[in-house]
Amino acid sequence: MTITQRIECHIPLNRVEGDLELRVAVEGGRIVESWSSGTMYRGFERMLVGRAPLDSLVITPRICGICTITHLTAAVQALDQIFGVVPPSNAVRMRNLALMIETIQSDIRQSLLMFLVDLSTSVGMGHAWHAEAQVRYQALRGIRCIAAVKETKRLLEIIALLGGQWPHTSFMVPGGVVYAPPVVDFQKAVLLLRQFRNWYEQTVLGCGCARWLELASVGDLEAWLAESASHRQGDVGFLLRAGRDLGLDRLGIGSGNFLSYGALPIPVDSGLFGSGGQLVGAGFVAGLGQTVGFEEQKIAEHVACSWYADYPGGLHPMIGITEPVASGAEGKKYSWVKAPRYAGLVAETGPVAERVVMQDPLFMDLARRDQGVSALTRQLARLVRPAYLFGAAEQWLHELIRHQAESFYLSVESVSQGEGVGLTQAARGALGHWVKVENGQIAHYQIITPTAWNGSPRDEHGMRGAWEQALLGTPLADPDADDPVLAGMVVRSFDPCLVCSVHVVDGGGRRTLRP
Amino acid sequence: MSMTLYWMQNGGCGGDTMSFLNVEAPNLMDLFQQLDIELLWHPSLSSDSPRRRQECVDALLIGQRPLDILVIEGAVLRGPASTGMYDTHQGKPKKDLIVRLAHQARHVIALGTCASFGGFGVDEYVQACGLQFVRNQPGGLLGSSFRSRSGVPVINLAGCPCHPEVLSGTLTAVVTDAPLPLDDLQRPLAWYGMLVHQGCTRNEYHEYRMEENDFGQKGCLFFHKGCHGPLVGGPCNKLLWNRRSSKTRAGVPCFGCTNPDFPMSYPFFETRHIEDIPLALPNGINRAHYLVYKTMAAAAAPARLKRRETEI
Repeated sequence: MTITQRIECHIPLNRVEGDLELRVAVEGGRIVESWSSGTMYRGFERMLVGRAPLDSLVITPRICGICTITHLTAAVQALDQIFGVVPPSNAVRMRNLALMIETIQSDIRQSLLMFLVDLSTSVGMGHAWHAEAQVRYQALRGIRCIAAVKETKRLLEIIALLGGQWPHTSFMVPGGVVYAPPVVDFQKAVLLLRQFRNWYEQTVLGCGCARWLELASVGDLEAWLAESASHRQGDVGFLLRAGRDLGLDRLGIGSGNFLSYGALPIPVDSGLFGSGGQLVGAGFVAGLGQTVGFEEQKIAEHVACSWYADYPGGLHPMIGITEPVASGAEGKKYSWVKAPRYAGLVAETGPVAERVVMQDPLFMDLARRDQGVSALTRQLARLVRPAYLFGAAEQWLHELIRHQAESFYLSVESVSQGEGVGLTQAARGALGHWVKVENGQIAHYQIITPTAWNGSPRDEHGMRGAWEQALLGTPLADPDADDPVLAGMVVRSFDPCLVCSVHVVDGGGRRTLRP
Repeated sequence: MSMTLYWMQNGGCGGDTMSFLNVEAPNLMDLFQQLDIELLWHPSLSSDSPRRRQECVDALLIGQRPLDILVIEGAVLRGPASTGMYDTHQGKPKKDLIVRLAHQARHVIALGTCASFGGFGVDEYVQACGLQFVRNQPGGLLGSSFRSRSGVPVINLAGCPCHPEVLSGTLTAVVTDAPLPLDDLQRPLAWYGMLVHQGCTRNEYHEYRMEENDFGQKGCLFFHKGCHGPLVGGPCNKLLWNRRSSKTRAGVPCFGCTNPDFPMSYPFFETRHIEDIPLALPNGINRAHYLVYKTMAAAAAPARLKRRETEI
């Protein structure tokens, strides 16, 4: 009988937003156990308590330089409820557009600058496409990296036209938006959007968006890939070809549960139709089955393995407490990220979860074939998401041009108390703000970020977080000598954003990081 | 010979990196090439393995490899209880690594308000601080007497985020050894010696005291909506953001994010007053004279401004 050696090692992970370290156990050249640590604590929620309600519009976008508009969106939705106001259609369009543009640029920058760059490293050696991957994706030099930087900043000019600047504006306020841009600015935005879409179709997708949206099965995808060289030569085609060679279609199989809060509310006078009044549908899917309705009350946060004082079970974020661990629980607690659960279950969120919740036939078929959502399918969903957004974005711009003379803002009266919940979809998944106002001040503020869902530590039942689960089975031959690229790719397929996910607590703290 | 640059992120949001990706003419990649800067490490952009990164840091720390420019983004987190364990790298406080690297560097750049002055988290718990300041108090992580190997203090590029052209211009000055005079807060005068207000398209309304009480209008936001444009230094309305606009042009008050006391403790969307006049007035202004001037200005306002007809 042979005894398999079990090795444990730490992997600091770059090319994610913020600080993330993985601890993994390796047996027989594969990861058999994993622990994910958010290693920074920033204290934003505490900063908000006692401040004026609108201050969340300035402070929460600065939690994250990459999801800044998304935090603003969640914050203003909570305030709309607290102030009891329904923003006018034009304001809804402007808010939606800014969120869509932020999402699209994030999907492209993450895919080309942070994910595909790995294909140019040692992991690609020996593959026929490696030399080409270096030309395309080498850090800071690859022609596709340079193109991504040039094109995404053009796209972001649209947010400047709507709200002044990106990142870190606060142009959404309860009751609407602070400014009615002139028609000429919306027209300029249409041109900027079309220019970006042309680049995306020609070089990322390799075909028109309409052609891509026809795909409804794995067979369709294979036929599309075989159909023309331009399909294979785009970044989507390159990802599919190289990803399969690396086995990414068999790695990174997650929890099998998927969550979307829904996003992009459709204005009453819009010509667009969506799912449940939103362009991106809300829902929960367990085990790739049917979508069930999303119920916000089913969310609870656990802290058994997070550096916060224990409480039994999980707590809904409206009554959530974040109290630091001064000492104790060494060996059990290992992250500044809490562990949110939906109806007690781990759930993954992000672009692929949106597709699964909306029962997209192509992505459901891919998941059935791979017996779960793989790292490759997860990244594919991100890289093609813009194709599902361009049409609606342009339509809303045209509607703004048509309705420019109508209202963008409704005055609100000051309020002394109330509760509000802001739920939306960031580029990387479900984002929620839970807010209470008392005596005219913020009395409670809790945020659950997408990375808290995807990168959570274990809960009190020992249930692994989504990417902790997804890492199991990933090859890691020799942790000391090896560059753990594949493990990194599995985690990066979730588009981690740690800067958002580290809670703020009151005082105390822990002394050592080692679980 | 090329200059080396090492970029570290700490207690921050990554927004300064996101902002810098928007730098124009040249692009970020072309800029490094033109200036012959060798980017040793950037946490979002580099592809070196963890081991190679560690080897690089080790070589910098023992002086085996020169470190020409150290860019620090995000606040230094010293909490809890001054241990630095709120922000660690491989189990060790990052603040200790910053100190060691700073002492090897020829130039140290604090990128953004958090790295410059502490920004978010300057409290007794998180204990955030800037490299040479805590708010406007000299000291910070490195101490007020710190000088980098070229003999200059930390260059503070304040802003939340820092405007990308400010970092681009600073790197150019450093690489070409051009003079870059700093103000008392160690910010380059070229960009922080002017007011955010300069160049705002609402200046016509400001001049005649056509002030707004609510959102959604064209007038000035200084008297009632908390705008800091006439109070703080910064090039927002000269350089513009994303080539197109600025917050104040788009109706968002300036929150004074280049100031050492950002984020301020008072509400962002309200102006504090003494008898109808803002409590804080532009530098060097006599309050009595200002009151007379603004009263006369409002009386002299043309009808087109009162009717909000002038475009912004």
